[in-house]
Amino acid sequence: MSRIFGIDLGTTNSLIAAMEDGAPRVIAMGANHRALLPSVVAIAPDGAITVGERAIEMEPHLTVERDGRVSAVGFAGGEYGAVIRSVKRYMGLGGDEIAPEDRARYTFADLSGPVVRFQIGKRVFTPSQISAEILRALKHGAERALRAAGNDEKVERVVITVPAYFNDGQRQATKDAGRLAGLEVVRLVNEPTAASLAYGLNTRAAGNVAVFDFGGGTFDISILSIKQGIFEVLATNGDTHLGGDDIDRVIVQWLLAEIPDPLKLDRHVWNSARMAAEDAKQRLTDVAQTPVVVELPGHSIRKHLTRDALERMAEPFLARTLKRCELAVADAKLTPADIDAVVLVGGSTRMPLVRQRVAAMFHKEPLCSIDPDQIVALGAAVQASVLMGMQGDMLLLDVVPLSLGIETMGGVMERLIHRNTTIPTSVAEGFTTAVDNQTHVDIHVLQGERELAKDCRSLARFKLGPIQPQPAGVPRIEVTFLIDANGILNVNARDERTGREHSVDVKPSYGLTDDEIERMLEEAVDLGEQDLEERLLISYRNDAEQILGALRKQLGEFGPLVDNRERARMDEVAERLEAARIGTDRELIAKLVEELNEVTTPFAERIMDAAIKLALEKKSVEDLS
Amino acid sequence: MIECPSCGRRQQPLLICPDCGSPLAAPLDCFAALGMPRKLTIDLGALERRYHELSRKLHPDRFASSAARVRDASLRATATLTRSYRTLRDPVARGLYWLELIGEKLSENNKRVPPELAELVFEVQEQLAGMHDAPADSDAARELAAQVAQRRGQLQATMDASLADLELNFVKWDQRSDEKMLTLRLKAILSSIAYLRTLIRDVDRALENSKAA
Repeated sequence: MSRIFGIDLGTTNSLIAAMEDGAPRVIAMGANHRALLPSVVAIAPDGAITVGERAIEMEPHLTVERDGRVSAVGFAGGEYGAVIRSVKRYMGLGGDEIAPEDRARYTFADLSGPVVRFQIGKRVFTPSQISAEILRALKHGAERALRAAGNDEKVERVVITVPAYFNDGQRQATKDAGRLAGLEVVRLVNEPTAASLAYGLNTRAAGNVAVFDFGGGTFDISILSIKQGIFEVLATNGDTHLGGDDIDRVIVQWLLAEIPDPLKLDRHVWNSARMAAEDAKQRLTDVAQTPVVVELPGHSIRKHLTRDALERMAEPFLARTLKRCELAVADAKLTPADIDAVVLVGGSTRMPLVRQRVAAMFHKEPLCSIDPDQIVALGAAVQASVLMGMQGDMLLLDVVPLSLGIETMGGVMERLIHRNTTIPTSVAEGFTTAVDNQTHVDIHVLQGERELAKDCRSLARFKLGPIQPQPAGVPRIEVTFLIDANGILNVNARDERTGREHSVDVKPSYGLTDDEIERMLEEAVDLGEQDLEERLLISYRNDAEQILGALRKQLGEFGPLVDNRERARMDEVAERLEAARIGTDRELIAKLVEELNEVTTPFAERIMDAAIKLALEKKSVEDLS
Repeated sequence: MIECPSCGRRQQPLLICPDCGSPLAAPLDCFAALGMPRKLTIDLGALERRYHELSRKLHPDRFASSAARVRDASLRATATLTRSYRTLRDPVARGLYWLELIGEKLSENNKRVPPELAELVFEVQEQLAGMHDAPADSDAARELAAQVAQRRGQLQATMDASLADLELNFVKWDQRSDEKMLTLRLKAILSSIAYLRTLIRDVDRALENSKAA
């Protein structure tokens, strides 16, 4: 059985990790061996997809040219191609849930549907499809890194982490993304819960742990009780739209305060300011003040940001996180003093102010020895090994973050499963007909804490039936609502008289239907091939770069060993390879690499001879002394 | 009898197959699921240990690579286990479940105010209505909010007394004195608690709103 890998599919960055020699390790990948893959996906007008660092370069922004002119570069959206960042914020949302400011940033197709769709050129992409590209990049990146280490393992089965406060639709969208990327999602695990596994806190006898997870786009707080290897979540709370991004937005507004509105909303200007804001925020973790510069055409914004000012901007968001902490501790029937350890997760917890406030709230210094950007992926790898049966008695008992219920008479939400109930869990509810000869019963499933159905989130609607025509109240149908270990709802119905299972055709209120996923999977096969082509091209280009670099270096050192006729031939092939390397004809690149290899072979042999001779001479000199 | 999804042998309804250790998706009552004696007084420490022990054996995390039908049995068995644990752990849920078991289920549509609470309930509702009608941020609203906050303490004290009363009756029930009388008493206490819960929630919500205003 192949290994199960752990994936942190983050708002800002994504990572993949696995157990190695009994310890979780993140897998560094790409040219610069980085563990963090920016969760940024660029889609060119022709549909070509780029993920990560290189996608960031394609974001619309302003750049200063050599002649000092400021110009706009990147994919500006719509027909120009687009660069999508923080796609996690859109997972599981319906078109009608898109905020106006999002509409200024991206171009969306049809906002009335049950799923958000980004419009790029003639094509549309759902958030699950975009996330699938990130997952695919992680899969391929990890496989390449493993191969470089002599391991031909494939990444096929994964654990993916989600914010604890993700609702059913957001979880389903994440699972869909995994499926679209060709992965078997063995389990979705809540991020704070995963983080608690990474610290190896199970070695303590018993205790209560608070996990404060403040990332780029989401905030979670989870309270766990740990007893003899059982990690039991007591309560969780959070906000799936609260994170470091919000602080960046306030800095951007301050930076662009004097800029007229239409220009402020320009995607190039806004992004350039956002990049400057993010940089400044990160610098202020270590220094007390920093200059912030945004170059605009014919004008540059130069301001100074102090840590004090940044903290004033961050304060309202931090206050919201602390309020959620209070609620979670109360739901766990504990007080802050009962918490034995606090774990920090997410890049936003690097801010000194966040650390101070969290320490003050729980009366203890939080644990922060594990990189807050890596801890979730590391924990996911630990959970993956639990699922492989390699962690002995260790077991995670997680909870459902939001209550689940149905709409009853008068539009009231009737709770069937309360929030913070340990999962998996199920509840059976009896239904009957209200009028004679009624053949169907409509059921509307809701998620949320509000009293009225209209204030809760609609999960799904389904029809029970067909029911044999009978007087009102006679049919008895038992519907079982089951929440699985991923926090996802499953429904089935049974006729209590006949014992016959009813088919339940659940129509999700938001999200993709199975048919839509099938169709996307078919499309993804094509994309997969394109992806393979692209990968091959990249590897050939790397080969070309390597041989050209080596040749330049050798000519510099051993130039005199080459005669003019030989040199001319080498230069000619090298020049053609230089040109081919920029193009997309990988066969040509391969052919020229081979040709260059051939013409340089005699030279390489002479260098070898010379090198050996030099080494010998040096040795004899040393021997004499 | 139920068929084991792993070894295929027919078994008595249990959560774990005695022959092969596979989870069984048997419909069980809460006491049987956790293997606890059918009594109203419960050793909570023993209950938790039993729950953890069974979770280790049944949880879907233990069967991630098993056949689909075993995974499904594990899912259902664990759902039964967690629901049973949750019901037995909480005295109020346990009491309500007990009434259901003995065929005396407390009616959900029971809107009648328990007589001993009538006066208190009437006063609190009067004040809540006043709070609702008073202009926001007025002296009258603040005065009423202060009164309601005071009532909150009184309600909680009544609730605590009812819970203590409930536990006392659990002990009596387990000693099997007068079953009929005890059933009536149990129903009275549990409906008071249900009523108090709703009222306390309404009060908290009103106080929260007045704080926000």
